[in-house]
Amino acid sequence: MPGWYYDKKELRNTPSAADGIDYKTEMRYRKKGARFIIDTGMEMDLGYNTTATGVVYFHRFYMFHSFKQFPRYVTACCCLFLAGKVEETPKKCKDIIRIAKTNLDDLKFATFGDDPKEEVMILERILLQTIKFDLQVEHPYQYLLKYAKCLKGDKAKLEKMVQMAWTFVNDSLCTTLCLQWEPEIIAVALMYLAGKLSKFEVVDWVGRTPKHLRWWDMFVEDVTMDLLEDICHQVLDLYSQPATKSPSQSPPPPGQRSARPPSPTTPQNNRNGNGNDKQAMSPETPSIPPINTKIPPPSDIPQFPYQTFTNVPPPLASYVSAPPHLAGPPPPPPHLAGPPPNVFPSFVSHPPPFPPVVPPNAPPPPFYPNGPPPPAQPHNSRRPYFPHPPT
Amino acid sequence: MAQSGSSMGERTSTYEAINKIGRGAYGTVYRARDKQSGQEVALKKVCIPLTDDGIPMNTLREIALLKQLNSYDHPNIVKLLDICHGQQIGKDIMMFLVFEHVEQDLAMYIEKHPKGFATTQIRNMSREIITGVDFLHSNRIIHRDLKPQNLLVTSDGHIKLADFGLAKTYDFQMKLTSVVVTLWYRAPEILLGLPYATPVDIWSVGCIIVELYTLKPLFCGKSENEQLNEILRIIGKPSKEDWPEVDNIPIKWNSFDIENQVDIKSLAPNMCETAYSLVMDMLFFDPTKRTTALKALNHEFFLEEPINT
Ligand SMILES: Nc1ncnc2c1ncn2[C@@H]1O[C@H](COP(=O)(O)OP(=O)(O)O)[C@@H](O)[C@H]1O
Ligand SMILES: [Mg+2]
Repeated sequence: MPGWYYDKKELRNTPSAADGIDYKTEMRYRKKGARFIIDTGMEMDLGYNTTATGVVYFHRFYMFHSFKQFPRYVTACCCLFLAGKVEETPKKCKDIIRIAKTNLDDLKFATFGDDPKEEVMILERILLQTIKFDLQVEHPYQYLLKYAKCLKGDKAKLEKMVQMAWTFVNDSLCTTLCLQWEPEIIAVALMYLAGKLSKFEVVDWVGRTPKHLRWWDMFVEDVTMDLLEDICHQVLDLYSQPATKSPSQSPPPPGQRSARPPSPTTPQNNRNGNGNDKQAMSPETPSIPPINTKIPPPSDIPQFPYQTFTNVPPPLASYVSAPPHLAGPPPPPPHLAGPPPNVFPSFVSHPPPFPPVVPPNAPPPPFYPNGPPPPAQPHNSRRPYFPHPPT
Repeated sequence: MAQSGSSMGERTSTYEAINKIGRGAYGTVYRARDKQSGQEVALKKVCIPLTDDGIPMNTLREIALLKQLNSYDHPNIVKLLDICHGQQIGKDIMMFLVFEHVEQDLAMYIEKHPKGFATTQIRNMSREIITGVDFLHSNRIIHRDLKPQNLLVTSDGHIKLADFGLAKTYDFQMKLTSVVVTLWYRAPEILLGLPYATPVDIWSVGCIIVELYTLKPLFCGKSENEQLNEILRIIGKPSKEDWPEVDNIPIKWNSFDIENQVDIKSLAPNMCETAYSLVMDMLFFDPTKRTTALKALNHEFFLEEPINT
């Protein structure tokens, strides 16, 4: 849907910013809100599509309203409630509130007021008006699957790559990527990232023509490497963000480590000023026990063998940069329901069950087998796709 | 009267009603002005019953689809400019659908042209109607109520389809208001209460194209039974084998005694051969035999050199 994409400057210039909320805080609110929608949706057996739609509503809503004026967990519930109806997977408002109550501390639940259901009902109309009744939202998932069907190569590796990309798409909901780029482009970028990390190099694809330099040239136009990297970084940054120090944060997310996975092509990038970026890394981190997922993958999706990462840890989990006492695998990529089922626990609601052990002198990252990595490239924040932001 | 947007920095549009134009059965339609831009709009007020869980799912899904269709900007579909909700009255909420204002509907247009239309113009209007229908059908929408009142004609003579996509939302209102819905453009399968699909729209288009030649509705019945009688009087009674074999059909094959059989050619003597052939492809009693919108667009009627008559 046109009109819902913003450039980076606009993303810093939100009603919340005007209301005195700094950028970092707003990003944290967005991330927490998205995570809350994802967790609540999962707990209620809502599919990945409904959940993702709810998250997109949430991000769009706060392009027009301030987090100070509209408490984020009420908005989050309302977005999930509305998405449920639009995606034909309705849940009763009171049930959503009931689940929310169990997952929020009293202070946060107090923002729902005396009559939580009425609060959400009234917000529904404001939400509808704010998102201009653009209720139908597309997500990268469908494109991911479509693109995957065209790629040739080792089947097992491809499946692993798709699962990993799926995880990244889930996690990308916690960023503002859905406000920046179309789902097609996000899908390409995160498949590119997953390909790098899982060492699946796409050399051939169905429908290839001589003018296609890269497989994605078949599907999207004018996508530069800079853009892809920028998108990948926005997702990877999620895993490196220190969790909030806010005392009201309960329980403290286990992701309180400054582990940062290297980016695919700019491993020396120190954007966070964290010099320890890729000190200790090992492809052989402890195995992650599978967790039971009650959410079956959607039937319209090819069934990949699950628990791919159970014995082989995901590359992301193999980087640890913090001092030993803090060291542990980085927060496992949190999850939504969907094809890679919950290989990792969602790090907000479930502490990761794996032990924080990693050999400090592990082999170098597997991405640059030949020689040193190329120098970091400056990031291009120009947006070749939507040069004119919506008005 | 209607307001869109919220208090926060966002664009706010208010609309001011000029006069009532809606003659429809479901919602009231006003000609109105966007106070900010001065643009004239058509404001359709629809009353939506709130459920225990807010705005009903069916309505939301229909609006979602309308908005999505709208993003394609199809030339033969009326543009939806905005949606806003009005006050809540008891258990109902008012919704305003804001459309581009189009000069008139096809019924008025026909009325204004008692001398009729040139073949070229009929061909162009027919093509635009079918193009719009094909667009709806390819988006899996059945219009269900194609008729001259729901086809808008712009000041430069182009057709835009209106009044679709809210069937389930309307369903509710229907139960409230005892409105008389015209049966004249209804396909036999609807009149018989059978399941129906996109061919019902093709039937209606067939009726409308004939009307463009004759300037009066083709089949004018006052009840389901009378309407079927009218249809059979003109297209001929289907063989007993073609009559649907369903037990619960309210009307029996042998309950019709067809008198004064006429055919379309004599009703519309000004119709050319190719137009006649197209219309006959659309007016098959059996919906599976009817042409489709896509096929119709490739009918020789549309491939002919324009002829002025
Ligand atoms: N966009 C418009 N511009 C001009 N007139 C319109 C427009 N939309 C509807 N109308 C007029 O209002 C009438 C009723 O509108 P419609 O959308 O068909 O509502 P209903 O569902 O009540 O039939 C139409 O027959 C037409 O004459
Ligand atoms: Mg109408």
